[in-house]
Amino acid sequence: MSATATNKRKPTGLTFTNTEKIYWPKEGYTKGDLINYYNSIAPWILPHLKNRPLSLKRNPDGIEGPSFYHKDAGEHAPDFVTVFPVDSKSSNKVIDYIVCNNLNTLLYVANLGCIEMNPWNSTMQHPDHPTWLVIDIDPSDNNTFEQVVETALAVKEVCDKGGLPAFCKTSGASGMHVYIPLKQAYDYDQVRDFAHIIAGLVHELVPDFTSLERSLAKRGKNNIYIDFLQNRPGQTLSSVYSVRPVPGATVSTPLEWKEVNRRLHPGQFTIRNISKRLDAKGDLFKGVLTGKANMAKALDAFGA
Amino acid sequence: MKAIWTGSIGFGLVNIPVKMYSAVEDSSLSLDMLDKKDHANIRFKRVNEKTGKEVPWENIVKGYLVGDKYVVLDKSDFEKASPEKSKHVEITQFVNLEEIDTNYFEQPYYLEPDKTGTRAYALLCEALLKSKKAGIGMLVMHSREHLCLIKAQEHTLVLNRIRFAEEVRDPAELKIPTTKSKPPELKMALSLVNQLTKKFDISAFRDDYSDKLMKLIQAKAKGKTIKVAPMKVVHSNTKDLMEQLKASLTPARSSSRKKAS
Repeated sequence: MSATATNKRKPTGLTFTNTEKIYWPKEGYTKGDLINYYNSIAPWILPHLKNRPLSLKRNPDGIEGPSFYHKDAGEHAPDFVTVFPVDSKSSNKVIDYIVCNNLNTLLYVANLGCIEMNPWNSTMQHPDHPTWLVIDIDPSDNNTFEQVVETALAVKEVCDKGGLPAFCKTSGASGMHVYIPLKQAYDYDQVRDFAHIIAGLVHELVPDFTSLERSLAKRGKNNIYIDFLQNRPGQTLSSVYSVRPVPGATVSTPLEWKEVNRRLHPGQFTIRNISKRLDAKGDLFKGVLTGKANMAKALDAFGA
Repeated sequence: MKAIWTGSIGFGLVNIPVKMYSAVEDSSLSLDMLDKKDHANIRFKRVNEKTGKEVPWENIVKGYLVGDKYVVLDKSDFEKASPEKSKHVEITQFVNLEEIDTNYFEQPYYLEPDKTGTRAYALLCEALLKSKKAGIGMLVMHSREHLCLIKAQEHTLVLNRIRFAEEVRDPAELKIPTTKSKPPELKMALSLVNQLTKKFDISAFRDDYSDKLMKLIQAKAKGKTIKVAPMKVVHSNTKDLMEQLKASLTPARSSSRKKAS
């Protein structure tokens, strides 16, 4: 291989297709707008995707068309894409996950019609050890956003009690996500159990409108689901700064805890206004990548 | 059934888009390894043979022993050796099926035509049936090249992976007698063979080990000897879960203490 001084050629395999296709009919936003958004947000989102296998969720016809998961996307990916092979026990074959470590990959994935970026909780270097714990606050249609806010504040209260750093973001849809960065010393089972404990303590604080019940029938129609089961191998939430396939082209946006109050509205951050906020606030999720919480200490603090 | 490969089969100018499904399944029960004491699942770790410490994925490489030294191969080495990615099996020749020794046969797969390929699929199938022949081609799967034959089984095309010549051992190392048998003995043996000859019926043979084991499992599950794995779907018992998790974290803590001292 010979090194060249200039490497500004567009990499082969990166061509944008159907950029005029309407993805958000109400707003008139196109696939091109989506690609432009990820191009502009790349410096902010890439650190949060780095080295994490992606579960691609493709919406090739925009937010009103059908979507499908495409995990084995690495097989046909161009050379600039990092691929992480995973032996799948269920289908008895090797699944090549795309790992988004550079701008070109991000734009390639967006061009596949991926509105959301869904990274693993662990990295390809230590696939069995999550770097963070997530609590997914997932309301039913009958919950108010105020109740979502109250639940998020209950998560914060539990984390404070355990001496755990906690970072909050809007899901971009109707819920909120709380991230707790961990020492990379725990396996998925341990992290899931720990998340279960946190969710249980949160439920004790706001028992009237929350539930830990996965089954919809048992959960009740008026309860917020405190989902701790997202802490399992291969499970993914939409990344911070990911767009969501919902009207308004909302973005999963990190928040300061003081912003988590009655005035917060889930639809207020979109691909149109997020960059202004980032210029003012910086990356509020930076600490998620550096924090190293100790579960044993937190358990002691919880009084276990 | 889940397709494990999609691609196309070609012969001459005809191209048939197909999905490939495994034609066989394992009939043995899948049993989990557990700790006798508490029925926790057994997990495997990749550890350094010398230090006994776990090795992270990023630090694991593959090597081949040459003399007393390892030659380590990296990703680019594998790429250089692997075949070009291909989703197409071109039939390069046709053969009489009985020419191929059964020793060479490996995994069979069913082929299902894509909507656009149904006519060409049926055509190839009928031609193979009429001619009593099978096609030979190369299949690229999991970045390895496999020799395969494509035969017709009634209306279904079956792709059968077959071994390369170097994968089948030569029996020359074994002590095999070449003595001629005495004619009367041979005559007797032949008449015995003829008496026991009947039409081959695969359904007459059964592997009943798994059935027996399953019956045993069901009986044990009904009786009181079965131990249900603890926790799972415990929603209110935060306290118990805390104790469990604390116990699971303890070995990690004591080893870090050791490191510190």
